[in-house]
Amino acid sequence: MEKQLIISVGREYGSGGHEIAEKLSGHYGIQLFDHNLLDEIAAKKNLNMEHLKGLDERRKNPLSSRTVRGFSSSPEENLLYLQFDFLRDKADSGESFVIVGRCSETILKQYDSLISIFVLGDRDKKIERVMRLYQLTESQAVRKIREKDMKRRRYHNSFCDKKWGDSRNYDISLNSSKLGIDGTVELLTDYIDRRRQCFL
Amino acid sequence: MLAQVFAVIIFIAMFVFIVTEIVERHVVSLVCALLTMIFVFGIGMHSMEAVIETINLKSIFAKEFWYLSEETSGSSAGINWETILFIFGMMVMVEGMARVGFFRWLCMRIARLVNYQVIPLFITFMVLSTVLAMFIDSITVILFLAAVTIELSQLLKFNPVPMILSEIFCANLGGSATMCGDPPNIIIGTSLGYSFMDFVTNTGVIAGVCLIAVLVYFYLIFRKELRAGASKSVDYGSLPSPESTITDKKGFAVSCVIFAVAIVLLVTHAQTGLTVSTIGCIVAIATLVTSWKYAILLLRKVDYKTLLFFIGLFVVIGGLEQTGILEVMAAFIGKISGGNVMVMIAIIIWLSAVASAFVDNIPFATTMIPIIKSLSAAYGVDLSMLAWTLAMGTDIGGSATPIGASANVVGIATASREGYVIKWGLYCKKMMPATVMVVLISMLLIYFRYL
Repeated sequence: MEKQLIISVGREYGSGGHEIAEKLSGHYGIQLFDHNLLDEIAAKKNLNMEHLKGLDERRKNPLSSRTVRGFSSSPEENLLYLQFDFLRDKADSGESFVIVGRCSETILKQYDSLISIFVLGDRDKKIERVMRLYQLTESQAVRKIREKDMKRRRYHNSFCDKKWGDSRNYDISLNSSKLGIDGTVELLTDYIDRRRQCFL
Repeated sequence: MLAQVFAVIIFIAMFVFIVTEIVERHVVSLVCALLTMIFVFGIGMHSMEAVIETINLKSIFAKEFWYLSEETSGSSAGINWETILFIFGMMVMVEGMARVGFFRWLCMRIARLVNYQVIPLFITFMVLSTVLAMFIDSITVILFLAAVTIELSQLLKFNPVPMILSEIFCANLGGSATMCGDPPNIIIGTSLGYSFMDFVTNTGVIAGVCLIAVLVYFYLIFRKELRAGASKSVDYGSLPSPESTITDKKGFAVSCVIFAVAIVLLVTHAQTGLTVSTIGCIVAIATLVTSWKYAILLLRKVDYKTLLFFIGLFVVIGGLEQTGILEVMAAFIGKISGGNVMVMIAIIIWLSAVASAFVDNIPFATTMIPIIKSLSAAYGVDLSMLAWTLAMGTDIGGSATPIGASANVVGIATASREGYVIKWGLYCKKMMPATVMVVLISMLLIYFRYL
């Protein structure tokens, strides 16, 4: 039986981290969870979760939520716990998958089969990529990158002890601007294959 | 003047920190209690006497703390150890009941009694929530009811959200009916010297009338949603039998007896003279002795953070009381109402309800007790009437928003963890009209009965 492989990909906006995650998923033939995670949960529980998509990867609002004996009224936090439970169930079942963001490097840390990656990029390369992909002007791209990264940092840091993007929190952190998307994927697959030999 | 300024600053800071949840609320209240001791009683008042009076340890050694031979007027000064001890005892008893599977058994038993029919289940679970919350903390009630509701909804194929929302509302309503139903009521009762039956015959009657209105309201707004799943074919055999939910049969029987004794002692405490602190100790000791194998486990499960929160809170409110700030606030309410009792009642009930919808109702009720005492003394208004008004406002107001009461948070979290995420919009759309309706009915009943 194939040994379990869980790849967690954290990423800066515009670094191509998501595309790298997709390529890793394709390379190893394992499922990718990103924005589709809610759809997967909805399908499993036979629920409609379309109206909750706006809450995905958002930190809780402390003024509009309250915690009692570990229970929270925050929809953002509860949605996150729902995702955590889903991912832990998947990991417990022995399934292999790639997961993008969602504090996965922290909540799945206990699994030996986890390989956590953080993808960053040079500022100019990220701006260029965002301008190209979303047809934006430079200033719009700069603003978008700043807003998205701030949102991701706040979300991550409000639920995890270790900081978003801190290299000590991941097995490997690398700058995708230096090798390009394909070069980065190549380097990562080499790293993952070597790590997998250690699992066996 | 300096002491008053310090007291107000500490009080406001405590509220801000509680609301923002930057630090856990028991830490906030204990730190604020320490600051009150240092700045208000020490630097501001230079009064060691105020410190001793607020810590109030001497009350524990007084005979009246355990046994009352005649009626007492109660006391709101300083830490209310009677409340702390009673809540501790009830927590131990409830943990003992939960360990043996009492709550799950009760829910499953009732579900079977109504033949797992969705609408009868909806109505009976609302009534069950109300009745249980009259004696047990609403957090425990919702924790078990919501979990069973979700379990049943998955089998009976109905949306559990309407039922959970209704249960939450009824748990808060049930809490208003008795002295031990909701922490503000325990504090009001022990501070002002009211008995369990005083509450039942006053707030209990109001809550009973309101329950009828609430049953009709929730039935009307949720019936279509619930009926959508009611007609589907269901495999009842896959449901656990009520008996199978009992984890310890002997312990279950003992727990039922202890619970029954607790109810009898509470109902008769005005006649027997036993104070709620004595009753709390009796049920805690009885639970620990009869479940001695699990005594450590039960003691570990007690929510000490809440008890510490109460202790800190009483000291901070003691600071406001000792410096006379609360009398100033009482005078302000009296001035606005122009001494008119109807206006006074309207202000107290709506102010309490609105405040409790957004902030913890325990500090609010604790703050309001000295205020209603001052109002009663200054304007010759019946104190008990103001106490019932305060109890209804604080207990019911909490239902209006997701953050208003502990039961709301626990119910929402339990539903959400199963995929039924309840957002502010949905919650308020269904619960706010019910809250306004019940507060209005309560106010009119108070006018009708006491004026």
